[in-house]
Amino acid sequence: MCMSILRARIKTISSAERQDHWRNIGCWFVAVLLVLHLSVDAFADSPILLRDVTKETSITFTHTDGGSGRHYIMETVSAGLALFDYDNDGDVDIYFLNGAPLKGTEVDVKPKNALYRNEGGWKFTDVTEQAGVGDSGYGLGVTVGDYDNDGDLDIYLNNYGPNVLYRNNGDGTFTDVAEKAGVDNGFHVGAGTCFLDADKDGDLDLYVSIYLDFSYEKHVTTTTKGFPVYANPRFYPPMPDFLYRNNGDGTFTDVSKSSGVGNHAGWGMGIVCGDYDNDGDTDVFIGNDVGENFLFQNDGTGKFEEVGLMTGAAYDLHGDEQGSMGVGCGDYDNDGLLDFYVTSYQGQLATLYRNLGSDMFEDVTLVTGSGTGTLPHVTWGNSFVDFDNNGIRDIFVACGHLQDNVEKFDDTTTYFARNLLLLNTGDGKFIDISDQSGDGMKIKLSSRGAGFDDLDNDGDVDVVILNSRREPTILRNDSPSREHWLQVRLRGVKTNRDGIGAHVKVGAGDLTQIDEVHSGRGYQGHFGSRLYFGLGNHEKVDRVEVRWIGGPVDVFENIAVDKMVTLIEGQGDG
Amino acid sequence: MNTLIEAICMERCTITEGRDTGNTGGPQQPDSHAPKKTLSVLLAGFIVCAFNCYLFQVAAFPQSDENSQKTVTTSNLNELNESTGPALKPEQEIAVLKKEELELAERLMKDFPDSINAIIHMGNLWERHGDATKALEYFDKALEQDPERPDVYKSIGWFFMNKEQYEQAIEYWQKALQIDPNTPGVHHDIALALMGQNKQSQAIGELEKDIQISPRSSLSYFLLGQLYLRQKEYEKARNYYEKAIEIEPNHTNAYYGLFTLSIRLKQQDKAKEYMAVFKKLKAEDMKILKDRNKAVDDLIQMQKGAAETYMLAGQMYQAEGDFQKAEELLKGATTLDPNNILCLEKLASLYLTSNRITDAISLYRKISEIDPKDPICHLNIGILSMRLKQLEKAEKAFHNVIEVAPGFSGGYRELAQLYLRAGRGYPEARALAEKAVALEPTALNYFVLCWACDMNGDSQNAIKAIKRAIQLEPANLKYRNVYEHIKSKN
Repeated sequence: MCMSILRARIKTISSAERQDHWRNIGCWFVAVLLVLHLSVDAFADSPILLRDVTKETSITFTHTDGGSGRHYIMETVSAGLALFDYDNDGDVDIYFLNGAPLKGTEVDVKPKNALYRNEGGWKFTDVTEQAGVGDSGYGLGVTVGDYDNDGDLDIYLNNYGPNVLYRNNGDGTFTDVAEKAGVDNGFHVGAGTCFLDADKDGDLDLYVSIYLDFSYEKHVTTTTKGFPVYANPRFYPPMPDFLYRNNGDGTFTDVSKSSGVGNHAGWGMGIVCGDYDNDGDTDVFIGNDVGENFLFQNDGTGKFEEVGLMTGAAYDLHGDEQGSMGVGCGDYDNDGLLDFYVTSYQGQLATLYRNLGSDMFEDVTLVTGSGTGTLPHVTWGNSFVDFDNNGIRDIFVACGHLQDNVEKFDDTTTYFARNLLLLNTGDGKFIDISDQSGDGMKIKLSSRGAGFDDLDNDGDVDVVILNSRREPTILRNDSPSREHWLQVRLRGVKTNRDGIGAHVKVGAGDLTQIDEVHSGRGYQGHFGSRLYFGLGNHEKVDRVEVRWIGGPVDVFENIAVDKMVTLIEGQGDG
Repeated sequence: MNTLIEAICMERCTITEGRDTGNTGGPQQPDSHAPKKTLSVLLAGFIVCAFNCYLFQVAAFPQSDENSQKTVTTSNLNELNESTGPALKPEQEIAVLKKEELELAERLMKDFPDSINAIIHMGNLWERHGDATKALEYFDKALEQDPERPDVYKSIGWFFMNKEQYEQAIEYWQKALQIDPNTPGVHHDIALALMGQNKQSQAIGELEKDIQISPRSSLSYFLLGQLYLRQKEYEKARNYYEKAIEIEPNHTNAYYGLFTLSIRLKQQDKAKEYMAVFKKLKAEDMKILKDRNKAVDDLIQMQKGAAETYMLAGQMYQAEGDFQKAEELLKGATTLDPNNILCLEKLASLYLTSNRITDAISLYRKISEIDPKDPICHLNIGILSMRLKQLEKAEKAFHNVIEVAPGFSGGYRELAQLYLRAGRGYPEARALAEKAVALEPTALNYFVLCWACDMNGDSQNAIKAIKRAIQLEPANLKYRNVYEHIKSKN
């Protein structure tokens, strides 16, 4: 267009003037080019680009922590979020948890959780009311899974207060059946929660983590350098978690004690379930705030032994407990073993536990650089995500302090903080590329839960972040990568319908990757019901092996790339 | 002999006081009795006064100037001690305290413009109040005035370390080492930064230097263990973990290291053993943390911090001879932090410069209540009580010294002297003096033994002892005089 404007102007100018004119035109042209260049992506050299598209989405959700200045501790830890396809229309929808008015807080309109239906094209519609999922309880943790195996995803909320089990009615609506199902769980301060098939009987059991023992009577007020602050969780006793066994008839039985998990009290926060020891059953990792992490090893029957210390996953490399927040699970080094990444408090590095096999983990944070940028901040939602589809998983970390006045007494950190993106260099190391990775990485809020899914079905993973007391952040993955990819959705038949707990191995030439379907992960949230595999320049997938929890092993061969495939239990080669 | 020694004590104390305090208008110096008193008295006085020097600060204090132009805000200090209205909430108290402390620190910088300590303290103060950026400004100012301050470089290094800016941190720490290669802890700090950058071999080098300077740094030994574990040099790792435990038997992290090492080597029995100890120590640590969380009071913490500023201010005004202001400020420090032994000692020392022995004793008694196992405190009480001729109290104090520090010769020696001066218990005095010599064969201890032997009629051993004292301190004329005196008697 610029060139045609230029030509139109040239016709009427005399030759003497032409020289000047051309000179002017040249300058103008250069100026235009310069402006164009500046408006072109300044991050063009970065392998990963995450753009802030929040405003485009029409999402109007704003989080509240329900506080009134009294500094109740749960205000700091709200909340997680869930990404899942609630209406089975093929795209990922978003469910945000919200806080609720605590003692001393008065509101005109009760805040609620919010469900946004993905309309495609980065447009989302608030369908909370029609879906019936606008719980007004104090939201902390959420997980998603088809607990009744009827083909649609249900939601479990782990609140401060009674919990909620939203059974998906299959028609875009949900019904709260928590009490009927026996999982309303009394009145606790919830945290992370997961569905898992603990006993390999084909239906999803429910793990419910509890943060601490709080009541208004036990509330502790404290100050730091004269400023009122939220109390350290150590002021409140730790609590054991709950495990509910699915009876298969829509109800659950509390097996916390008999399973072994209820015999250990901790300050549970983020949790994730995965088969870390590759023995065909689902284990549970709990990131405990201010205490040793728990790793519950499943004996295959739904009985668990706590092996965190023995395996090296309880503490950091020095034997110190961390302020564990969120837990990511994935194979960052493609050695076929699931590793864990645990976010943490200010003054502590987020910790990467590398699975060495043989029931051993090693804190490799320092040697890999995977804690870079985390020391001055409080870190929360996180995951291993292959953002550029090159076959190795990077790390995203959501950051933000929990003391909203921290700058008044500690200027080495900030309440609002930008999030972190650590690029996996492929040789066991990570480097911080946050600065070069798009305007989405420049946002500074106090982030909590984060979810990672392909929201626009274009083959790369996008990001949704819940920010405390603010609007969320939606980041579209605009990475320039032209690498190949594969997305895998599982459909169990005899095993649980969404293949939760299934172990998937993808082989493409010399690249072999594994992943598992998790229900509940990161910081008290849920995402990734479908699995994402970046394939680099491999143009086909030779083999996908699926080990179903409590079921067979299926092998699918010669799969085309750059698509989502649905793998059905029993339809592969055994 | 007894009378001579007492005379020596009195004359020597007087001389010492005159030299130390100048024309303070303190207690009048008694007339000299030297021609009439025996040598023993003079020497005993020397001994007592030698301990007075131990009590007093080394620096001489010029006369305080009643008309000093330097002012310090005293109204705020009065507020510390007086109730002036309805009680403030702790947050309000802290805000007031912070304001006053800052004002005092700023006043110090104004009144002592050439004092780099005032600038550094301001930096430390801002750091303590959570403003590291402001702190850095003052540290930089301090370095402009004196670039040869390793302690300042050390502080600045940590500013960058907390931001994960490892290179900058190392740069500043290396500057500290250029000034003083033996600055304790700096090699350790550099090692931490290198570990943050995964430069393991270099970190090992720094830690090995650190343990040369600080051979009791259990943390450095532990970190060496960690690094060698990482490098799979398991025997070295084990040795360093064990060394850390040797220094600090309850080193929780070192046991974790040994546990991890045993797991790596598949030594299950050892692993279980170390795990059990680690779990036990960890449980104790967690309990301490929990109790500390509950016990820590923000206001008290702030008061303790402010006490440091008041104490520094007191010392600075004292050094300038303004004892009145110094006393106000040091009293302020002890009010803010009543259990701060250093504050109490500084104030006691100030009282002694103006011969306020009773006030000084009262402070040492406070210290002994805070730390009953401090032998020096009991020793001071004893010596000062002797000066006031309160022999019973002195005797009790010296017994306390022996009880809390049976390996310290001071208690035995002073008690021996008390008996000798009191004219009683000569055999006990001798036994005590012999014990003192056995523990620490110093010239002074030998002198007291000489005295005790002499009072017990054992000239031979008295001479032996004084000869030994002379050997150890050949320039000490008094010992020679005593020797001549005893020889002449016999």
